[in-house]
Amino acid sequence: MLQKQTRHVTMRERREWLLFALLLGPNLFLFGLFTYWPLLYNFYLSFVSWNFLRPRKRFVWFENYAEVFSQPQFWTIVWNTAIFALFSVGLTLLIGLALALLLNQPLRYRNGARAVLFSPVIMSGAVVAVVWSYIFDPRYGLIDQLLGLIGLSSPNWLGDPAWAMPAVIMVYVWKNLGYAVVIYLAGLQGIPRELYDAARVDGAAPWDRFWHVTLPGLSPVAFFLSVTSILATFQAFDIIKVLTNGGPVIATTTLIFHLYDLGFVSYNAGEAGVIAIVLFAIMLILTIIQLRYLEQRVAYS
Amino acid sequence: MDQLKLTRRQMLRMMLAGGSVAALAACGTAPAAPTTPTDAPAAPAAATTAPAQVSQTGSTVTITYWGSFSGNLGEAEQAMVQRFNESQSDIVVDYQFQGSYEETAQKYTAGLQANTIPDLILLSDVWWFGFYVAGAISELDGLAQQAGLDFSDYEPVLLNEGNRQGKQFWIPFARSTPLFYYNKDLWAEAGLPDRAPETWAEFGEWAPQLIQRDGSTLTRSAFVHPDGASYIAWLFQGVTWQHGGKYSNEDFTMTMTDENTVRAAQFYQDTVRDMGWATLGQDINRDFLGGAAAAMMASTGGLAGITANATFPVGVGFLPKEANFGCCTGGAGLAIPSGIPDEKKLAAMTYIAFATNTEQAGTWARDTGYMPVRISTKQTPDMVAFFEANPNFKTAVDQLPLTRAQDAARVFVRNGDQIIGKGLERIIVNGEVPATVFADIDAELTRAAEPILEDLREVEG
Repeated sequence: MLQKQTRHVTMRERREWLLFALLLGPNLFLFGLFTYWPLLYNFYLSFVSWNFLRPRKRFVWFENYAEVFSQPQFWTIVWNTAIFALFSVGLTLLIGLALALLLNQPLRYRNGARAVLFSPVIMSGAVVAVVWSYIFDPRYGLIDQLLGLIGLSSPNWLGDPAWAMPAVIMVYVWKNLGYAVVIYLAGLQGIPRELYDAARVDGAAPWDRFWHVTLPGLSPVAFFLSVTSILATFQAFDIIKVLTNGGPVIATTTLIFHLYDLGFVSYNAGEAGVIAIVLFAIMLILTIIQLRYLEQRVAYS
Repeated sequence: MDQLKLTRRQMLRMMLAGGSVAALAACGTAPAAPTTPTDAPAAPAAATTAPAQVSQTGSTVTITYWGSFSGNLGEAEQAMVQRFNESQSDIVVDYQFQGSYEETAQKYTAGLQANTIPDLILLSDVWWFGFYVAGAISELDGLAQQAGLDFSDYEPVLLNEGNRQGKQFWIPFARSTPLFYYNKDLWAEAGLPDRAPETWAEFGEWAPQLIQRDGSTLTRSAFVHPDGASYIAWLFQGVTWQHGGKYSNEDFTMTMTDENTVRAAQFYQDTVRDMGWATLGQDINRDFLGGAAAAMMASTGGLAGITANATFPVGVGFLPKEANFGCCTGGAGLAIPSGIPDEKKLAAMTYIAFATNTEQAGTWARDTGYMPVRISTKQTPDMVAFFEANPNFKTAVDQLPLTRAQDAARVFVRNGDQIIGKGLERIIVNGEVPATVFADIDAELTRAAEPILEDLREVEG
């Protein structure tokens, strides 16, 4: 009897395991193939000298790391990446919040305005960049004409190292603003009306209501947006590639663009692998920090 | 209980079906052998070991041709392919546009890893050599003989560039040289003689009459330089020689810190900063055609397109001199991958023979502005008549005998072109000291040349 019972359990366990494996298998296989394997392979590549063409890869230990970190331009590129991420995310979150609050009011043509604001999100980054490269042209661009109305002349946006990064950030924020607005709007509509009513009864002024009801109510949404936008900015490539190609000189070269440059322009698989590892480490650390410290301060209803 | 069992079984069945579909979608291979994650991206095979199967056993051979021409150049190329396909019935050429020269080379590199390579490929001056040392392109002498192609009628300066140790690997097709372009309307407006400047000093005297300013901004420059990505290092090659400098020696030792090379870079910087009559533009054709720049140096390969699109008469001339005259060749040639069946190689060579025969080389030159690669082309009645009607094309061809092949640093060192280009951007845009920048560039080029030299010793002994 006891024996039979045990066998039954083993059978059952085995079947559960089979089910487990079958449920998990297909996804795990795809993740393994397209996420984990490239990650491991990249790790290996960062230790070899290889140009994608030679049949042999020479193992060079930490030579690639030493080379990458000793180039003075590497730190400029890290700085560029930080500036780009900070301003892109900061401006997207702030302007996005302001526009969402505005578009949450019962205004005329509100839906039309929302649609217009969201449209750049679904456009191809390359197309957006080509159009903006005309807008930025210092001689016949739209911005030059607008500035001309108030008697100013346009800076050489894409040709001047001091202006190229602001230009790229502008385009990136413009393109991604609509997404933040839509998410904020969803958040705003999720805040219970009773809270506002209660606050009003307690005599809270509009500013207090915003500060004590709206903002805490939006915090989960803002947290979600900050996590996803930071990760996205580190991977932003299309606009930079088409708008400035990382230039002038290296003024708009970010880590991801540097990776492309090393890997697919210089054909230096090893050094490109190092940059990929650096990016991976930065994103991992940022995500951990966000989960640990920011999420604690988020009020979920 | 019974019901639960049933559902689970159904679910298992569904999962199995779903799983295999997903696996199929992931691999895109036959269902027989589901690959495991570890061996899926197989260890990159040597460039030379692509499958050598004959996939066509019928009478027609279809070959895939990867090229980099779009716009009016692309149309001319498509027309060439069409003429070939209509001229015979054994071979069908399928022309596939791959993007810029750089993108074409990128895709070929990726294709070598994935074993999806074309049968004929257009490679630019800076790319064929890398594939040659990697053993990824075929030696062509035997194939040329079989296809009845005679190398003796090719322009020697162009042909020899694709020759290593007496063997031909790269056949000139869309070969060009830099040319000095100027806007005749603006020249007349400034009261200048209707010709290109003889020397840079002379152009320096003309330039102030050509520029237009709005406050401190230059709204019209006398001259526009391209940026690194648009091959400033190619145009600067000739300017370096004019100043008596060079990028490197034949043995790959770098000479970027040579006094005259630095002097040439100082001149480039001065044109934009001290003298202030030139700009650095992202799209020099756009600036020239739009009247934002009065002159530029650009490839002869753009001559037909620029002439057709300009709203003003276009003038061209030899490059200006400094200490001496200097002008390099450039452009692209055709190569045949090494990992394809012999039958396809021969078919590809047959197309090369057609595209570069006396008559077709002339049509291609007239359609585009690229150099006629055959000596005999220049004497054909069509070409003689064309030169008479279009003296600008004659100028481009007349300059050819004065040109020579580029320095190893740009064309043989992987990414040498972009390394030098970025250096020039630092000098022109950032205003850094030329000697300092070129010392950095010299070191970077030396380092980039190491693997090439290593491979070269292996390949050529």
